[in-house]
Amino acid sequence: MNNERLNYGNKVIYMEGVIVDIDDCSISVDLKGRLGFFKAPKRMFICDYELKIGQEVGWNMSFPEQLGDEVNDKYISNIEKERRKQEEMRQRMDNKEA
Amino acid sequence: MSITAETAKEHAHDPAVLCCRAEAGITIEAANLEDPAIFDDLVDSGLLNLDGALTIEQVLGAKLTKTCDSLCPLTADVVEGAKAPSAPAAEEAPAEEAPEAPAPAAPPVAGPTAGGTLKIHIGEGKDIDLEIPVGALGGGAAVAPLPAGAEAAVAGAAAPEAAGEEKVVRSLTRKHFTITEVKRGPETKIEGTTLYIREGIEADVIADQDLIKDFKLEVITPDLYHTYSETVMDVQPIATKEGDDVVGEGVTRVLDGVVMMLTGVDEGGVQIGEFGSSEGYLDENIMWNRPSCPDKGEIFIKGNIVVQEKTNMERRGPMAAHTAFDLITQEIREVMKKLDESLVADTEELKQVRRPGKKKVVIVKEIMGQGAMHDNFILPVEPVGVLGARANVDLGNVPVCVSPLEVLDGCIHALTCIGPASKEMSRHYWREPLVLEALHDPEVDLCGVVFVGSPQINAEKFYVSRRVGMTVEAMDADGAFVTTEGFGNNHIDFASHIEQIGMRGTPVVGMSYCAVQGALVVGNKYMSYMVDNNKSEAGIENEILGNNTLCQEDAVRALAMLKAAMAGEDVKAAEKKWNPNVKSTNVELIEAAAGVKIDLVENEQSLPMSQKRKEKYS
Repeated sequence: MNNERLNYGNKVIYMEGVIVDIDDCSISVDLKGRLGFFKAPKRMFICDYELKIGQEVGWNMSFPEQLGDEVNDKYISNIEKERRKQEEMRQRMDNKEA
Repeated sequence: MSITAETAKEHAHDPAVLCCRAEAGITIEAANLEDPAIFDDLVDSGLLNLDGALTIEQVLGAKLTKTCDSLCPLTADVVEGAKAPSAPAAEEAPAEEAPEAPAPAAPPVAGPTAGGTLKIHIGEGKDIDLEIPVGALGGGAAVAPLPAGAEAAVAGAAAPEAAGEEKVVRSLTRKHFTITEVKRGPETKIEGTTLYIREGIEADVIADQDLIKDFKLEVITPDLYHTYSETVMDVQPIATKEGDDVVGEGVTRVLDGVVMMLTGVDEGGVQIGEFGSSEGYLDENIMWNRPSCPDKGEIFIKGNIVVQEKTNMERRGPMAAHTAFDLITQEIREVMKKLDESLVADTEELKQVRRPGKKKVVIVKEIMGQGAMHDNFILPVEPVGVLGARANVDLGNVPVCVSPLEVLDGCIHALTCIGPASKEMSRHYWREPLVLEALHDPEVDLCGVVFVGSPQINAEKFYVSRRVGMTVEAMDADGAFVTTEGFGNNHIDFASHIEQIGMRGTPVVGMSYCAVQGALVVGNKYMSYMVDNNKSEAGIENEILGNNTLCQEDAVRALAMLKAAMAGEDVKAAEKKWNPNVKSTNVELIEAAAGVKIDLVENEQSLPMSQKRKEKYS
């Protein structure tokens, strides 16, 4: 399938991180070693215990590889629209406060 | 890890590989061998080469002539006294991954493995008495367990005796009203086939819930399908009950040609349940005609709700959005209740039929219950309404039994948000294909539908799955379906539900989107009958609304597979990697056996592809 497009796909690395935020839908994780941050739906986490900030999590992953040079216009368009919308909403909030 | 004699017997025709270092001269036993289940990975990664390896049945009892390290495949040059291979009977018997046929073709006679060798080797010893019952030697077919074919025949003979008349438990009438135009007007009303929505209703929606900060209503007609939209949270039918009828029986009035569509963001402009963008042009993001999706040609009454800042990720955010949006639907429902009978375009009667004597089956539908938009309102007063419903998270995600007609009458108001391709929105339940297929199949007796939530924590998952097992046990079902939407930790309880039902001796067919990204994280020995809901070309969550949800073609396969399972037929083990050909082969098998043509639904390849657009940044 699509993973045939990866050149280093079988290099799987064990990673650890710390839960830094939990809300009703998602869990945020800081990767140990200042290697980044991610936020994913709760559904994608396997939990044996009640969730608490500060708990450690582990998983296997690999390096994301670019799938090609092309830029997908659909995503560019969405990102730009999202940015404008957020700006617009921010202005509205500011106006409301003023 | 070494294997037991039992495992060795199951894998008699698989390659024999040492699990740990073994000295020359030993007699090879099961305990010296590695579990063949792990070989695929080892072969893939180049750590193991099985060329020339003898099978487990060949090497058991033979002598190792050379000291070998762990994970060394046993070949003829290191083993002395290997037996001749027997015909791998197991390979002839099993049906294809799916069902042999809905027609009860005589299942392969598994029978006792006659002709096997009883080998007793005693190197040294005296005063040894061996006493073995004759039957245990395998030749005594009389005491052997009944072959599967015989069981089926027994069941077949008993069936006509018990088979009673079909019994209609209750019925549900759907009166369809056609809508061809949706306009705004001074009041909400329906004139002929035109639906008017009151101007200024937006203010009522905003005032309805504290958390709702803004609301915009749009009417999307087919010529506006190429419109940019936020992520679609839900698609709902517009339906109401007549008089005092309750959901699941009596008369329901429904509008054809128009659906409610909910989208939402928070005040910061962040999508409700934001996990990366899946917003975009409607016509590029919706898989038309999926059970949960709009049909091509329908008009959408589309509401975009703005909830209070940062509540987009809190439970109260999406709940407020759904509750407030239902205010518009409710206003339409009130109008529908007063519509004149002369406007009824079509009447359809759905009957809940019980078929005593036929195989009793139950459908277990796992729904999301991790919180926030991973939640569902169960059993509202109005079809897909909000009032009167209980959130399954509040109910503790425990199993709730409903009738098939309650499902088809909108007893689930789904709050799903993420995983657009595999989530089941409210409209899905309104036309649930598996419920419809099972209800209309004269060969099975659908006794009910069980909804069970999927909690976040494993302990809670196992708590609810044991309740599922007990519920199905109490029903005395002959077979069960377990379905789930989306993928992730819900696959843990999905597997557990199947185990809890399977361990009680009830065959279970599991249905889920799996393919590549949704590959199951856990499994157990009861998960041998599985149907994949994937439709995407690459087997992935492709962000196309409804693309990988349960469709009629999946329901047909699952039903055929469950019938095969209840008849005691084996199903070929799944291939290690997802292979879309399995599905097409199974569909062909069913078509050939049942003499019907199964039309497969289209996938994302049928949608317009995103191109460079002039209006890109408009």
